[in-house]
Amino acid sequence: MTAVLHIDDVHKWLGSQHVLDGFSLRVEPGEVVGLLGPNGCGKSTVMNIVCKLLSYDAGQVQLMGEPLNKLSYRARGLVGLCTQHCALYPDLLPAENLHFFARLYGLSEKDRKQRVAELMHRFELENFAATRVGQLSGGWQQRLHLAVSLIHRPKLLLLDEPTAAVDLEARMDLWRLIEGLRDSGTTILLTSHHLAEAQRLCSRVALMRSGKVVAQGSVPELLARIPGQAVAKVQSENNEAIMQRALDLGWAVRQHAGQMRLLLPHNLSLREIVDALDGTQVSAVSVQPVTLEDAYLELVGDSALIS
Amino acid sequence: MHTSHLLWGQTLAVAQRLLLEQWRQKRGLIFWAVFPSTMMLLFGLVYAHNDSMRAGLDAAAAGILVGAALFFSCLGGTVAVIAAERERGTLPRLLTTPLHPAAYFLGVVIAQLLLALMQVVMLYSIALLIGVQYHGSLFLGGLILLLSVFSYVGMGFFLGARFARRSEEVVVALSAIGVPLLVLGGTFFPLEIMPQGMQAVAQINPMLHMNQAFKGVAAYGLGFNELRFELTFLFVFCVLSLALGIQSYQHLLGAEKSK
Repeated sequence: MTAVLHIDDVHKWLGSQHVLDGFSLRVEPGEVVGLLGPNGCGKSTVMNIVCKLLSYDAGQVQLMGEPLNKLSYRARGLVGLCTQHCALYPDLLPAENLHFFARLYGLSEKDRKQRVAELMHRFELENFAATRVGQLSGGWQQRLHLAVSLIHRPKLLLLDEPTAAVDLEARMDLWRLIEGLRDSGTTILLTSHHLAEAQRLCSRVALMRSGKVVAQGSVPELLARIPGQAVAKVQSENNEAIMQRALDLGWAVRQHAGQMRLLLPHNLSLREIVDALDGTQVSAVSVQPVTLEDAYLELVGDSALIS
Repeated sequence: MHTSHLLWGQTLAVAQRLLLEQWRQKRGLIFWAVFPSTMMLLFGLVYAHNDSMRAGLDAAAAGILVGAALFFSCLGGTVAVIAAERERGTLPRLLTTPLHPAAYFLGVVIAQLLLALMQVVMLYSIALLIGVQYHGSLFLGGLILLLSVFSYVGMGFFLGARFARRSEEVVVALSAIGVPLLVLGGTFFPLEIMPQGMQAVAQINPMLHMNQAFKGVAAYGLGFNELRFELTFLFVFCVLSLALGIQSYQHLLGAEKSK
């Protein structure tokens, strides 16, 4: 089957900075692929290349099997982009914004009316039909922004940190809407700093560092690469003693941003952990099953690997 | 869909959007209407009050239309459109759509042309009510206005794309650049009352030739032959303005892409 997006060994320099260093990624139809990595690792550069805002210096990018650099400006209709910055027209009504963008993509009048009505309904914007976009809350503006990026039924939806600028409630709403898109078969490439967002929404995750993918797979596959099934976060006056005890027990130890994390080979209760660390001056401990955050820190983060 | 059909649809979408936005910004719309109307009324009262100046009333109306009303509406309006797109971050959004740069450019031109037409109707309605007469060819007058609007939009794209990053800067920039050009363009005073040095400098001001061309037709009934120099100057300036505007807009798009 033809991949919706196939990026192969792409390099990009911005001045003397090697922003993408052999970046490769494949997005299959119906997949939701999360692109995660620290600030400046090149996530937005990938997005900008795919929607033809940026060129690339070497490698190959194919969209629906066609080389991206050979596609005309009309091929922009293959992709929809929704960023955290809500770039809409504040003096227009929601439907007017949708109609405007629909016309830019060349939708016929009949199709346009149908599509606008469909998206207004799907994104629950009907109650705000008479409200100018500038008067909507940030969350509702972002909803509309997402609807605008889908107006032309793109083959690939690019979501570049779509929930970064909204509050928790609006974020949960957007997640629900994105889940709906995923369940209806929309192919999505998503960047995010919210690892819980990626864990909840993505069928596959690619972890980036320094302009390249360092690990990728489904969330369970990435979790399987952590040397533990649960993580205990420990506070103590005597980190050295804790570390030594954990290593003696055969647990992996990580330190990230001053916090000590013990990777447990299997789920243990708090009581069992405290007993195992007896005599090491533990002042606080919490335990939870490993998450994508732990995989991220393990594979991308700058945590000190003690063992 | 054929490319030409798509481009025309995009052009109309841009023009309609701009007009709708203008309509929704009620306060801006009031100032847009009040400024030339007030000027026309004030100048009309001054000219009507002095018998020795009454003959100049027809020329004053023409000058206020081309030199002031269309300058602020078309040039100022275009700069404001570009500044607003930059400020709201909508330019990168547009760049991700198949919107052709030419369709955007033409959409702005059409919107500004329609706004200019409304300014012409509004201002000349007031002018005719206070006794102004239009003497020359309507076709030639229309052609001069058309070339003037194109020139202003071209300059608007140049100034907006190169300099105006925020809406607040538009008013300051227009006042700083526009008012001296208006004065030197003979919008408010006839060229003859200016010192020789100022008259020489005024000759290189395109607005002088716009003013003189339209005043020639509207106030003195001059024809193509008498205005050949002004029309040629205006045509060349119009082509240069549009070229500069297009080049600046493309430069802006390139800069937005590489952000």
